[in-house]
Amino acid sequence: MRTKLTALVGFLPLGAFWLFPLLMGLLAAFYAAGDGAAWSALFAHPQFWSALRLSLVTGTVSLVVSTVLALWIVAGVHGTSRWPRLAGHMGGFLSLPHLAFAIGLGFLIMPSGLMARVPGSLAGWTAPPQWITTQDPYGISLVAVLILKEVPFVIWLISSLLARKDMALMLRGHWLVSQSLGHGSASTWLRVFIPQILPRLKWPLIIVWVYGASVVDVALAIGPTQPPPLAVIIWADLNNADQAINARGSVGALFLTVVLAGLGLAFHAAWRLASPKIARFVVRGPSPGSIARKSALALLTFMCAIYVLVLLVLGIMSIAAQWPYPDLLPTQLRWAAWEQALASPAPLINSLSFALACVIAALAFAVMWFESVDERLDPVLLALAVAALALPSLLIADGQYLVFLQLGLNGTWFGVFLAHLTPVFAYVFIVLKGPYRAFDARYRSVSLGLNTSALRFWLAIKMPLLKPALAAAAAIGVGVGMAQYVPIQLIAAGRISTLSIEAVTLASGGNRQLLAVFSLMLAVIPLAAFACAARLGRQTP
Amino acid sequence: MHITRRGLIKAALATGLAPLAPKLGYAATWAGIEADAKGKTVYFNAWAGSETINAYIAWAGEQVKSRFGVTLNHVKITDTAEVVRRVRDEVKAGKTDGSADLVWINGENFRAMKADKLLFGPFASQLPNFKYVDVAGKPTTLVDFAEPTEGLESPWGMAQLTFFGDGSKIASPPKSMVELVEFAKANPGRVSYPAPPDFHGTTFVKQALIETISHKSVLQGVATKDLFATVSGPMFALLDSLHPHLWRDGKQFPQAQAQLKQMLADGELLMALTFNPNEAANLVATRELPASTIAWQYTAGTIGNTHFVAIPVNSKATAAAQLVANFLLSPEAQGRKADLKTWGDPTVLAMAKLSADDAKFFTGGNAPGSVTAPAPTIPEPHGSWVPLIEAAWLEHYGA
Repeated sequence: MRTKLTALVGFLPLGAFWLFPLLMGLLAAFYAAGDGAAWSALFAHPQFWSALRLSLVTGTVSLVVSTVLALWIVAGVHGTSRWPRLAGHMGGFLSLPHLAFAIGLGFLIMPSGLMARVPGSLAGWTAPPQWITTQDPYGISLVAVLILKEVPFVIWLISSLLARKDMALMLRGHWLVSQSLGHGSASTWLRVFIPQILPRLKWPLIIVWVYGASVVDVALAIGPTQPPPLAVIIWADLNNADQAINARGSVGALFLTVVLAGLGLAFHAAWRLASPKIARFVVRGPSPGSIARKSALALLTFMCAIYVLVLLVLGIMSIAAQWPYPDLLPTQLRWAAWEQALASPAPLINSLSFALACVIAALAFAVMWFESVDERLDPVLLALAVAALALPSLLIADGQYLVFLQLGLNGTWFGVFLAHLTPVFAYVFIVLKGPYRAFDARYRSVSLGLNTSALRFWLAIKMPLLKPALAAAAAIGVGVGMAQYVPIQLIAAGRISTLSIEAVTLASGGNRQLLAVFSLMLAVIPLAAFACAARLGRQTP
Repeated sequence: MHITRRGLIKAALATGLAPLAPKLGYAATWAGIEADAKGKTVYFNAWAGSETINAYIAWAGEQVKSRFGVTLNHVKITDTAEVVRRVRDEVKAGKTDGSADLVWINGENFRAMKADKLLFGPFASQLPNFKYVDVAGKPTTLVDFAEPTEGLESPWGMAQLTFFGDGSKIASPPKSMVELVEFAKANPGRVSYPAPPDFHGTTFVKQALIETISHKSVLQGVATKDLFATVSGPMFALLDSLHPHLWRDGKQFPQAQAQLKQMLADGELLMALTFNPNEAANLVATRELPASTIAWQYTAGTIGNTHFVAIPVNSKATAAAQLVANFLLSPEAQGRKADLKTWGDPTVLAMAKLSADDAKFFTGGNAPGSVTAPAPTIPEPHGSWVPLIEAAWLEHYGA
């Protein structure tokens, strides 16, 4: 009875501030989609099918290519002296918000960008080439951004998996067996490791896929325009002056969700049908080929170089007062954009305060859950957290906008905080669950023997031991919070601006120096959070 | 029995005159409005696609702060349509403390808000500075896209479709849509326009419609799908002949005018378009474009209109919003706005109505990048044409 009461109290804030807005949002989103006329309007949209195809291709290609590249890199680096450092550095790469990266990559590859200035200045071109780079009709630049951003995420996922003691032990055993059966390292990875790893990453990979197929802000910055991905059409519909078109947007968000869920299920079924064939491939062999370590390293170096170039070009652009084509460097530098951005620091302060408040709340809610609720209930909350991330944010945000409208929360700090908390808590919980539940219960038994209070035990023993995991979860929470755009744009009602809102507004053609400044601010805060987390993680013995 | 004024009003309210009560707000004295406005915050939802405009709004904010104690908060938006949706949803949800107090608006968005009774007012003609407005010389200050304003929005600036580019690269600028097709043919891949529903892009398509339609008068009436289908054939024929020669073969378009402007500055495009006849001169003054920049309009005229500010019906700061609207109409604010170095947006005021002192706020004169031969203004088609144009454009060129 007592434990039940504790569990209820421990769950209450989580239920009120996270679960209620999430479920009500979903409910409202489904309710809003009950408009028959809106459905026929959706299917009659002249760009509907081509936009849907573009969305699905974008999401699928970015998922497949980033998974393959990530596995390639991991297979090539795992087991070498570089591995621990690589795994540690991935946090920094993945913390860079997609939007900031997209804007920087755009500056790099656009026809008047740094890339086109190299041949331009050598050959003495007077006008930028008519290259089709950013906003190309096939979405290649959009897919490139997604791949470059998801590869570190997938590597990080795999490294977290491999760091688990049970996984490490199991894979070492499999390694020895497959080696003695004559399989080379490539064959072992392909036939033994990958089939073990991929199914365990099912949900994170689905999140990657849905994100790629439904992202709005990145698509606005670098995606194709005629047609744009379906998510951009839905977004424009939601922001239209005509009620009938708003309804089409709500219906579109639900439709995209249903299509993605249906395809996910179809893939699942196909996988089950195909798995006997895959199993047959797995037992065939042996083949002695080894991993091409050099190509993996080259790939990794290339990826790092792009990240460095992106940050560099953002830095240069932020102070480039005049930069005529085809000069390689600006002819005139000025800090004006930095001064302007810092003179009205509300977006920076808002972004920081939301990220910090959400991370603190999310950590508190997660710890309260772990401390008061039975571990057997974890799968329920995990399923909800995965749903919060695997459902397109357009759907949840549209629903939350409608609910918050009735509750008078739109345009308030608290409403925007709740909208941030939805994805932030989900990530924090997922990241924290493994390490927290793996905490050795014997510590508590010993301290109980020493008559220590639960709080004292938590502060003196448990928290320090879990510090690396808590810090990592907090850093991810900051990164996720900073990156929110769709829910914030809807729920802030123009009353509250954040860095991502400013960046998207500027990306539609505003002042490039200012855009670079906001993108850098957007990038630097999560990077700093990860640096802190890495430091905290190291300090603990 | 004592009869006080307050008592009378109370009695009037009690005896069924309540519906008239809001009217007292509009008829309130200006001094009362000033007192009421003090200490209030006005959330000004305004398109933020141009740095010079943002800077001007920031200046206006400083002025109303120091003069009237009103805080002006610029809500930077990319499309006014999102404000229409927000206000409508708020009103439907019964929210009286609306998120927007002042909106930069015209055309189809005004029509939508007016039709759904989402606007406060009428207030415009009661603004003290409204007396300077050139209602006779600039009839679009009272009729917005063929829709009477009825005092629900206050004029802010004048606009006319204008083209600009580098004079050292353009020997003879195209002076009509037909000439533009020839120009694009001669300079493949170096001309473009923003995709509708960006309002610059929609205006460009409207200009094409006006130049190809046989009976221009139908455009002043309400559009229907059938009417649009029968009159738009020649327009699409013209666009069909133009598109293959545009940037990226007319298959992709910039999303916004600001992007077009940047591509011109980069040298990726040869010409850009704007709704502000002085924008090119302003860009020369701020050294974003070279001094050899020229601006021009089509010989037979281009679409022109007025842009306004309006107050949503659920604003909590209607007094402060009226105060800001009035300040934006003042000769000082209008003069600064017309200054090529700040924004260059043409005034809605009549110079003849201004005192000699007030006229000094207008520096005037031609600068590099100004339109040297102004063309006649063609009135906007009725706002009902806009959604039809946008939908048909998407159908023809969207996929």
